[in-house]
Amino acid sequence: MTLSFRLRLFVVAALIVTTVLASVLLLSRSSVLAFEIDRLDDRLCMEAQRLTAPQIRSDRMTRLEADIGGKLHLNAPNQLMLRFDAATGLSGFQSTYWQEHLHPETWRWSAPRPQGIQGRPEGPPPGAPGHIRPLDGPPGTCSMASFTDSQAQWRAARFDMPMGRGLVAADLAATKAELQGAVNGVLTLVVPLALVLTALGAWLLSGLMMRPVNRLREAMKAVTGKALDQRLAGHREDREFRELIDAYNTMLARLESNFNQASRFSADAAHELKTPLTILQGRIEQAIQRSDQRTIQSDLIGMLDEVGRLTTITRKLLLLAQADAGPLALHLTRIDLTELLEGLMADTHMLVGAQTVSTSIEPGLILQGDAVLLGQLFNNLISNAVRYSVPDGWITVRSRRRRSGIEVIFANATHTIAPTERQRFFDRFYRGEAAYGQHVDGNGLGLSLAREIATAHGGELTLLSETQQDVTLQLWLPHG
Amino acid sequence: MNILLVEDEQKIAEFVCAGLRARGFAVTHCDNGHRGLDLACQGQHDVIVLDIMLPGRDGLSVLKALRGAGMATPVILLTARNELGDRVAGLDLGADDYLAKPFFVEELAARIQALLRRLTGERHNTLQVGTFTLDRITRQVCCGDHRIELTPREFNLLEYLMRSAGQVFTRRQILEHVWGYDFDPSTNVVDVCIKRIRGKLGDIGDNDDGASPIEAVRGSGYRFRQTV
Repeated sequence: MTLSFRLRLFVVAALIVTTVLASVLLLSRSSVLAFEIDRLDDRLCMEAQRLTAPQIRSDRMTRLEADIGGKLHLNAPNQLMLRFDAATGLSGFQSTYWQEHLHPETWRWSAPRPQGIQGRPEGPPPGAPGHIRPLDGPPGTCSMASFTDSQAQWRAARFDMPMGRGLVAADLAATKAELQGAVNGVLTLVVPLALVLTALGAWLLSGLMMRPVNRLREAMKAVTGKALDQRLAGHREDREFRELIDAYNTMLARLESNFNQASRFSADAAHELKTPLTILQGRIEQAIQRSDQRTIQSDLIGMLDEVGRLTTITRKLLLLAQADAGPLALHLTRIDLTELLEGLMADTHMLVGAQTVSTSIEPGLILQGDAVLLGQLFNNLISNAVRYSVPDGWITVRSRRRRSGIEVIFANATHTIAPTERQRFFDRFYRGEAAYGQHVDGNGLGLSLAREIATAHGGELTLLSETQQDVTLQLWLPHG
Repeated sequence: MNILLVEDEQKIAEFVCAGLRARGFAVTHCDNGHRGLDLACQGQHDVIVLDIMLPGRDGLSVLKALRGAGMATPVILLTARNELGDRVAGLDLGADDYLAKPFFVEELAARIQALLRRLTGERHNTLQVGTFTLDRITRQVCCGDHRIELTPREFNLLEYLMRSAGQVFTRRQILEHVWGYDFDPSTNVVDVCIKRIRGKLGDIGDNDDGASPIEAVRGSGYRFRQTV
């Protein structure tokens, strides 16, 4: 499957933009989450610091729990654990939900992120892992740790002060989930919108890129449709397209010069060849009418026949030269192909010997064509069929209307023709070997000219090789 | 009938003039386009035979100027150069017919007569030679009261012969007139067709001497007997 260039541009542009967009969104999502979690850490640190304040007492623990839980957006009281380890001489306390089996000494403590309330740079954890002593961290510092307990992810903050340390641990899973949900909610709105905008942008972009190409194509079509002396105007185009236009114009100029040379040649050759032929033929015609002697008359008629052969070859060669130089000039009229072919078949019946001629021509085949050239085309095809068909063989002509045009088939039985010989059928001056030693007249230009005429009409002439013992030519002509 | 021939090639002009005069036409000849246009604009000619390649002013431009001046005189173009292109241009410019070089003067005369017939209306549309009558409009051929059924080709051939009864036509002349110049000249289609017409005419059995009205002239061609 081949995609159109615009579609390919669109797909590539959309893919690139989508990839960039997706990575930006992913990155920003994780940094937003990280930022929010840092803010939670700050909050935990603040609460741990509060625990170390001298006025905090264990009897007000419940209120404290509720207060902190509210600030951290916790859903249940058991998602929060508080504890105060006092320095020597003071009594510590802990909250209701503090799990006795927890050993904060074993947690991996680390300093909070730089944006934490203490503004401390990252450094080694204040307490050596596995062993924690009161007052082992520098006073007034906060440390963070994560641990797992009863299948929940906990986050803990520890605040060290000379009189003791405050520990706050919270099950932040719910809070995090809530946060993620909020971010994802925003994303589900943003992503489809971004995708739609991307597609729209990519489509517009591909259209924009195609615009000069389309403009160029239309201009080229208009130029080649008219005449070769037209040129594309490219001064308003971008540099890349100006170069393309220049190349195209150069090509046109070369084509035009070749074409002019070729048509001048064929016109001059036509004049130079046909003038003496005309004089010769006219003089002989005159002489025949003036002469009374039978023998002289018949000599003159023999000469006239040779002039006729020369004329036929000249005419065909010149037509081929014109076809080579450019499209053949057509004088299009409405042509009743059925009538034309039926007339031709009547002639064929007069020409053949023992061959059987079968015809199937659909009625009412009408097309727009050049009567003279089509006449030449059909004459060439049928005389070819008559000339090369074996004496007791057959000739078939079928014509019918098809969806894409009119099809005419000329087929005849021949002596065996090798495939290598078939390939040369449309070569100029190629003549097939005489069937069974018959003398075959003809100049070998008929089929190549027939093909040129078919092409000039927008049609096609092809050799269908079914077996080696027949020649089937298929002619396609567009509907009128 | 006045014919104006505009043709620069002297040798061609000579035999065309001679041939047309021999067939009863009055011919004025001139050898360049400017003079040709002047003469044509005087409106004294029934048909203009105009060569395309002319010194001074070419045939197509003469034709254009002529039609531009409102002259409707029938024009037959003689083409030699770019046959197809000239033909298309000529017909578009209002030429009535064209003849590709080389041509038979006989054919030129036939084309001129056809044009004149088209102009003068119906009175020349029947040919009568002996007991044979040929109607160009209804395309019927009768021998006395008997109608003879002919195919279009056979009719055209018979019409060509009957038009100049007594004159001998070569096979090639007949072929070019009836089948067109692009028909394969190596075939014997003319002889076969003549044989068929003879058969159909002979069926009538009207001839006392048993001779066919179409006579084969040995080595030359065929003619329609003037007195049947």
